[in-house]
Amino acid sequence: MGKPTGFMEYERELPADRSPVERVNDWEEFHQHFSESKLQEQGGRCMDCGIPFCHTGTLISGMASGCPINNLIPEWNDLVYRGLWREALERLHKTNNFPEFTGRVCPAPCEGSCVLGITNPPVTIKNLECSIVDRGFAEGWVVPHPPEKRTGKKVAVVGSGPAGLSCAAQLNKAGHAVTVYERADRIGGLLMYGIPNMKLDKAIVQRRVDLMAQEGVTFVTNTAIGSDIPAAQLREDFDAIVLCGGATKPRDLPAEGRNLNGIHFAMEFLHANTKSLLDSDHVDGAYVSATDKNVIVIGGGDTGTDCVGTSLRHKCKTLTQFEILPQPPLERQPDNPWPEWPKILRVDYGQEEAEARFGADPRIYLIQTERFVGDAHGNVKELHTVEIEWGKNENGAFIPKPLSGTEKVWPADLVLLAMGFLGPEDPVLEQLGVERDPRSNAKAEYGRFQTNVDGVFAAGDIRRGQSLVVWAFNEGRGAAREVDRYLMGSTELP
Amino acid sequence: MKLVSEVGVGTIAAGVAKGHADVVLISGHDGGTGASPQTSIKHAGLPWELGLAETHQTLVLNNLRSRIAVETDGQLKTGRDVVVAALLGAEEFGFATAALVSLGCIMMRVCHLDTCPVGVATQNPVLRKKFMGDPTHAVNFMQFVAQEIREYMAQLGFRTMNDMIGRTDKIEARRAIAHWKAKGLDYTDILHQPQVGPEIGRYCQIGQNHGIERSLDKQTLIDLARPALERQEKVSATLPIQNVNRVAGTMLGSEVTRRYGRAGLPEDTIHFHFQGSAGQSFGAFVPPGMTLELEGDANDYFAKGLSGGKVILYPPTASTFTAEENIIVGNVAFYGATNGEAYIRGMAGERFCVRNSGVRAVIEGVGDHGCEYMTGGRVVVLGETGRNFAAGMSGGIAYVLDAHATFRNQCNLETVSLDRLNEGDLQDVRVMLQKHVRYTRSTQAQQILDDWETRAPEFVKVMPKDYQRMLDAITQAEGSGLTGDEAIMAAFEANKNDASRVSGN
Repeated sequence: MGKPTGFMEYERELPADRSPVERVNDWEEFHQHFSESKLQEQGGRCMDCGIPFCHTGTLISGMASGCPINNLIPEWNDLVYRGLWREALERLHKTNNFPEFTGRVCPAPCEGSCVLGITNPPVTIKNLECSIVDRGFAEGWVVPHPPEKRTGKKVAVVGSGPAGLSCAAQLNKAGHAVTVYERADRIGGLLMYGIPNMKLDKAIVQRRVDLMAQEGVTFVTNTAIGSDIPAAQLREDFDAIVLCGGATKPRDLPAEGRNLNGIHFAMEFLHANTKSLLDSDHVDGAYVSATDKNVIVIGGGDTGTDCVGTSLRHKCKTLTQFEILPQPPLERQPDNPWPEWPKILRVDYGQEEAEARFGADPRIYLIQTERFVGDAHGNVKELHTVEIEWGKNENGAFIPKPLSGTEKVWPADLVLLAMGFLGPEDPVLEQLGVERDPRSNAKAEYGRFQTNVDGVFAAGDIRRGQSLVVWAFNEGRGAAREVDRYLMGSTELP
Repeated sequence: MKLVSEVGVGTIAAGVAKGHADVVLISGHDGGTGASPQTSIKHAGLPWELGLAETHQTLVLNNLRSRIAVETDGQLKTGRDVVVAALLGAEEFGFATAALVSLGCIMMRVCHLDTCPVGVATQNPVLRKKFMGDPTHAVNFMQFVAQEIREYMAQLGFRTMNDMIGRTDKIEARRAIAHWKAKGLDYTDILHQPQVGPEIGRYCQIGQNHGIERSLDKQTLIDLARPALERQEKVSATLPIQNVNRVAGTMLGSEVTRRYGRAGLPEDTIHFHFQGSAGQSFGAFVPPGMTLELEGDANDYFAKGLSGGKVILYPPTASTFTAEENIIVGNVAFYGATNGEAYIRGMAGERFCVRNSGVRAVIEGVGDHGCEYMTGGRVVVLGETGRNFAAGMSGGIAYVLDAHATFRNQCNLETVSLDRLNEGDLQDVRVMLQKHVRYTRSTQAQQILDDWETRAPEFVKVMPKDYQRMLDAITQAEGSGLTGDEAIMAAFEANKNDASRVSGN
C-alpha cells in the first residue's frame, strides 16, 4: 500500500548503525532509529502488490520465503506511511507477540521475498517493524492485557525461548493458566542468553517477560524439568504440556586435541558472557575471556558472528572466523531467483566491527580444522587446517574433500565452536516417552504439534530442529492453538 | 463476439451465430486485466467450462456449430486447460495472463497507475528499463503448452484438434473429491453430448455468409465513386436507401483510405445524397473527402467511428412535423468518432457522441448520457439534453442551448464545469450554426442566428476540468518557449502528477 509512486520517489534507506569503532567498547545495541518522516517515506515504498509475497511464509528450496508468522506487512507499511502508528502497532501485534525481538534479530525473509526486490532494493520491512513496536513502548501503548475469563485449565510450557514465550502468551490470551519452566536463572532462552546484548538488549527481553507476568503467566526459573521436577510430575499437575526446549545439542568437532583447554562451544561462551554482564557488569569474572587472545571462531553463521562481536568487545588480539562453505556470491544467482531467500554474501555487525578493528573481513572460506595442538599445560596453542573443495561421494552426497598441500597452522588461544545444533537434549523426551523423528527431534506433525503422548505437544526447535526465531514464534503460536483445541474442543486462536 | 460465461449464454451464442459472427468467445470469470476493479475480478461471470459446454451443445443442437468458431479464455495456463476446453467444445483458446507472466508480469494490478515496477504496463522510461522479458519467453511458453497438448492427445488417441472438439465422452468427473462442498455435484449436463446425426458438424467447417456482396457499397457506391477513387474527380449521386442497408459508405471509405491514406480526399470529392431510412451504422468510419447526406432518418450507431468525413441528416422536405421536436437518429450516434463534421436537423437518441474524440457536430436535442467519456471535438446542442450529460467527459467542449435554464440539473458535473461562452466560443458556435443552416436548412438554427444577440447568451459551455488545466499548461509551456509536441509533452508531464488530477479532477 503506502504511496503508489513511493518506490519510484524514495530510495531504500536504513538508519546508520553506531560506528563499529565506537560500539565495540560497550555492550549497548548497535542499531539507531530513523526520524518519523524518513520512516514514512520508507513505508511509502511499499507497492500495494496485487500478489504480495512478504507475508506468505512458505518454504522454497528449504528456506523461508516471506514471513513465517504471516505479518500483515503491506497493511502496517501503509499505516506507517499515513502516520497511524497506533493502528500499525495493533496490526503488528495481531500476528506477532514480540515484534521487538523479530524487529532486531530476524534475518527478514520478508525482505527477501518483497516484490519490489525483483527490480529494486526491497522495502525496509524489518526496520519498520522495529520502529512501530519501539514507538509503541515509548508512547506507553503496550500495556498488559490479562484475559477477561479464565478457563480453569493448566498448561505447562517447558522452555522459555521464543517458542515457549509465544506459546505461553497465546495460551494465556485464551484464558488458560500457564506456567513456564526455565532451567536458567533468567527467562528468555536464546533470546536472553544466546543472542548477545548488543544485538538484543536484555532489558527489552525482560520488559516483555514482565508484561507477560502482569498478564498472568507464571514463570519458574532455575528449574530443569527431568531433574529438578520429574517430567511425570508435570503430567499429573497440568492438563497439557508444551515442550519448547529447543535444539540445544551443539555439533562437535571430533578432531585430535579437542579436549585441550580453551576450546569451547559457542553457547557456553555466549551464555556465560551475558550472564556475567547482567549479574555484575563482568566484575565477577565468571565468563570465558577473549582478552588479548588469538581467537578462532569455527562456523560462519549467526552464532559465529555473535562470538566474533563478543570477542571483539573483550579486546581479543586476533580474530579469525572459519566457514566450510564457499563464499556466497554478491548477487542472486540464476538458481536462486526471487522470491527465494537470497543466498548472497552478507556482512553482519561482527564482521563489520572486525574489519574496522583489524582491517579485513575475518572470514576464511572452504577451510576445515584437522587437529588442535596444545602446549605443555594442556592449553590449545594452534590449529592445523586444510583447504577443501566440495565434491560428491559414491552416493551422490556433497562432501568436503581436503586439498593436499594447503595445510596451514594458525596460532590460537581460544577456539569457539559455532557449527550449529544437532537436536534436542534427551531427558525430558525420554522420561515422557515422546517418539523422535530420524533427526532426533520430537516427532509431531507440523500444524498439529501433538506428540505421540496424549496432552504433550512440541513446538520450536525441539520439533523442527535449529531454525529462526520467527519459526519458533510460528510454532509456539500454532501449538497454543492446538493445545486450546485439545483442552476446549474448539479454538479461536489463529 | 465476446460473451461472458453465464447461464443462458448458449442461446445468445446461437443468435450470434445466426447473425453471421465468425467467432464467439466464451469468457470465463477468472480473468480480468490488472486495471479491472476488484468487483469485476471477483463478481463477474462463471467458469468458462460451464458457458462453453452450454454454448457448444446449443450450437450443435441447432446445427450452427459448423459455421462459427468457438473460443474460450479466462486463466488458461496449461496444455491440459486447452485439452479440456477442446473436449468441452472450443477450437480457439485465449491466453493473456500466462503469456504476460512469461514476459515478466508479476500481477501487480496497477496497469492503470503507470507504476508497473517490472516495466510491462507503463510508458515511463525509468520503469521500462526494468523490463526483463523477451519475445522468445512467450514463444517458449507456448511451445511448452503445445507440447503438453500433444502429450495429452497421444494419451487420448487423437490425431488432430478437430477430432477432439466436443468429445466430452473423454472427460471423466473425479469420483472421490473429498471436500464436503463437492458432495452432490452432478456433471452430467456439462458432459452431455447432443444426439445428432453425422451430417451435423461439431466444429467450424463452413465460413459464414456475411452477404457483403449484396451490400450497398459493393453493389453501387464503390462503382459510382470510381472516378473519385482513381482520378480524384468529384462525384455525386442521389440514391434511395432502406433500413436493410447497414454500414452504408463504410467499405467505400476503406477504399478511399487504402488509396489516399489518412489525409483522404479533398472535402466533398464524393457526395452521395441518400433518400429514405438508413440501416444501422450509416456512414461508420468514413474518411475525409466523403460527404454523406441523408434525407430521411437513421438507425443506431449513425456514423460511429467517423474518421474525417462529413455526414448530414435532415427530414424529407415534404415532411410536416417540427424537425427539432422529433427524433431523427437512433442511439449511440458518433460513438468513438475521431474526426469529421456532422449536422443533424432533429433530435438524437441516447449516448450521443460517447467517446467522441474529434468530431464537430450540431444536433437539436439529445437523450440521456450525451457526450459521456468524450475526449475531444465540439458538440453543439440546440435543444434539451437527457440526464447524465458529460459524465466522465475529459476533453473537447460541448455548447448547449439552455433556453429554460434547466441544463445544470441534467448535467453530470463530476468532471466538468459550466461556463459562459467567450468571444472565441461564440464565433465558433456561430460558424457551426451557419453551416448547419446551409446543409440542413434548419429553421431552429436560422432563428437563433437571426436573433443572435439575444439568443447567444442562452448557450452554456460544458468544459472538462482536466481539459481546461491541460490547455492552460500547454499555453504556459508555449509561453516558456516550447512549441508543438514538446509543449504538449511538457504540459503532460506537468499535469501527470497534479494533485487535482490524481484525485480525479
